[in-house]
Amino acid sequence: MTFFHFGNCVALAYVPYVIVYKCSGLAEYSAFWKCVQAGVAYMLTQLCKMMILATFFPPSDLPEETFDIVGEFLKCTVDFADLVGLHFVMSKVAGKGQLKFMIAGMGWATAELVMTRFLPLWVGARGIEFDWKYIQMSFDSNVSLMQHIATATLVWLYNRHDLHKSLVSVVAILLVLSSYRPVIVEVLIHAVGLGTWTVLLAKLLFTSSVGLIALRLYVSLSLEVNSYY
Amino acid sequence: MWLCGADEVVEMFKSSFPLSFLFFVPVLILISPVSPAAAAHEFAVFRMQQYDLQGSSYGCRNSLVNVEARAIEAQMYTRRCVITKLQDLAMDKYREIVSQNAGALLVLLPQNLTELPNIVKEHLLELEQDLMQEETPLPVYFATETPQLLDIYADVKTSMNSDQAGSAAEALLHAASANGFQMVVAGAQSKALGDFQLVNIQGKLTGSGIEEQLPTVAIVAHYDAYGVAPMLAKGADSNGSGVVALLELARLFSKLYTNSRTHAKFNLLFLLSAGGKLNYMGTKRWIEDQLDSSESSLLTDVSYVMCLDSLGAGENLYLHVSKPPRDGVAGDVLLGNLREVMGQFYPDAKFEMVHKKINLADEYLSWEHERFSIRRLPAFTLSHHSTHKAPLRKSVLDVRDSVDKNVLSRNVKIIAESLARHIFNLSHDTDFEVFADSLKVEPQTIGSWLDYISSQPRPAQSLGKTSPLVATLQQALAKLLKDVQLHMVKADKRDPEFVFYSGLEYVMNAYNVKPAVFDLFLALGIAAYLGIIYFLVQVGTTCH
Repeated sequence: MTFFHFGNCVALAYVPYVIVYKCSGLAEYSAFWKCVQAGVAYMLTQLCKMMILATFFPPSDLPEETFDIVGEFLKCTVDFADLVGLHFVMSKVAGKGQLKFMIAGMGWATAELVMTRFLPLWVGARGIEFDWKYIQMSFDSNVSLMQHIATATLVWLYNRHDLHKSLVSVVAILLVLSSYRPVIVEVLIHAVGLGTWTVLLAKLLFTSSVGLIALRLYVSLSLEVNSYY
Repeated sequence: MWLCGADEVVEMFKSSFPLSFLFFVPVLILISPVSPAAAAHEFAVFRMQQYDLQGSSYGCRNSLVNVEARAIEAQMYTRRCVITKLQDLAMDKYREIVSQNAGALLVLLPQNLTELPNIVKEHLLELEQDLMQEETPLPVYFATETPQLLDIYADVKTSMNSDQAGSAAEALLHAASANGFQMVVAGAQSKALGDFQLVNIQGKLTGSGIEEQLPTVAIVAHYDAYGVAPMLAKGADSNGSGVVALLELARLFSKLYTNSRTHAKFNLLFLLSAGGKLNYMGTKRWIEDQLDSSESSLLTDVSYVMCLDSLGAGENLYLHVSKPPRDGVAGDVLLGNLREVMGQFYPDAKFEMVHKKINLADEYLSWEHERFSIRRLPAFTLSHHSTHKAPLRKSVLDVRDSVDKNVLSRNVKIIAESLARHIFNLSHDTDFEVFADSLKVEPQTIGSWLDYISSQPRPAQSLGKTSPLVATLQQALAKLLKDVQLHMVKADKRDPEFVFYSGLEYVMNAYNVKPAVFDLFLALGIAAYLGIIYFLVQVGTTCH
């Protein structure tokens, strides 16, 4: 399409990040460099993941259409490295307690956005051909922002010692669910035959429910913490 | 010092947002590569004929397309690529499209041309003739219908266009939801092929005796084909059948001539001529070179020239002459033989002589023999067409299925028998068959030659000296005849009689596009969405 269309896509993909950064208090604590550090940690984690994938999961000879569910499942297991990475960021990067996971999630999501979304948009959204997928991609990056912040919150919660014992298992289940999100989405696409818009909607619903539960847990915990004072 | 300067520049951009915006956006636009996305739809298209002949230009003069698609039902064609099915394109519509300055015309041809109803066939034949009457700046393309192309066509057709909308609001709404196609043919503009050479292929069988003193019979067939789009012109009947007949005659008579007992006192001269559909340009130059050269040529005292054109269909056989042969000359003898052979072996078929004087005022000569008759050489054409105006002679409809190998074999047999009776001077009342048993006409060979020759398009433009078809024909003749030569015909540099153009076949891309207004609407939608997000985040943080 046109440069204008590219501008639209970029605005849709990036402006929510700016809004969240400005309004969540990160800007006031001048957490910019910390976010960049989180981003660098993201890149290192991805590098490690890729090495593991390339070493242990050689490309299969199966034809394109068939869906190897066990293989995909195992590949998604490698995504637990993301959780380790997030934990590493939160334990090494200094910051006020509650701010930690915002920094980690924000930096993580932004790095992902820059690394995986900008180039396809630059190449694709400016071509002559119009396709909804670039708008969808931009929406999807908004969903991933939510997703990463929620995951960071869950990792933070999981490492809290004052978390109620019964809630630990809930947090663990949510973490596993968000790690296996890609494979769940794949299964949905293959089993139900969802269209691209419905897949996006499903992702949004999934992420927002995980996000809401994480928020609920976080709020209850912080109320508890505050009540000590 | 440099760093200080850099700092100042950075400061300048930092202090003023509009300035940096004005600076960076054009830079981004400038460095952005040109349309890197691969097209979703790609298909082969065949361009309409483009050539200059005897000082006049014919066909479409442009090849490049980069405009939006429109169905032919729309009213506005200006700077649009009009897509139409063959049945919907009429000549008055075409004139309207040209006069409105359309960007291009894409005609969808049905998959199987032979199975069309007759009325559609006639429509196509008429359209082909009318389209080729004049030149046009409009790029005209033909494509064979595929499911994918039909989908695009249906999309273009159903999307109501903004210029047809009832009100401004409707037009605006439509502009936002429309689904258009940008049709693109990229590449180089078609340009004249400066040093293109037509290739005539000649060969001979020498009679028994001193070659120069023997009478000669020439057998001629042109081997190119013609259609509204060069790469769709298979020309199975005209003149694939003539070429196959000539090859079979060469085979039969070369067998006779290798045996000293059946070696006739006649020279046989064979010519496969080029550019036959373009006013017999190859034949014209060949005659000139043969007659005007200093060496004596077999053509100077030829008994008659027999041209073969369209022999593969129909019941009857016609002999076209521009001047009926006088009694007793060789041509008259052959005419008599033909009548007799037809009467003896195929009494059901009709044989007739058609007399048509050469009209020098006409742009085109009617038959190939007229090229010889102009130079006062006795000549005639054999064809199943009763008139030279038969539109099938210059049509894309002339494909393999319209030719029957058995009919062609019958016609070859008739011609061979009559010719044999003439050159061996066989008595008139005999019903002796020369071409029987081991010498018989082979329908199988004829069928496979027909298959081969009509399997590929044969426009004159593509039959240069590097063409594989020319090489194949040359080899086939070289096996049977002596002295097989290629005779090159090149147009004069300053005043060319014919000019061909490149660009017969292109790849057309159809890009799915949205109108510019759509992006505006999208921008509004995104702004609203971002506003809501901002609001939600604000509310969320203040509650917190």
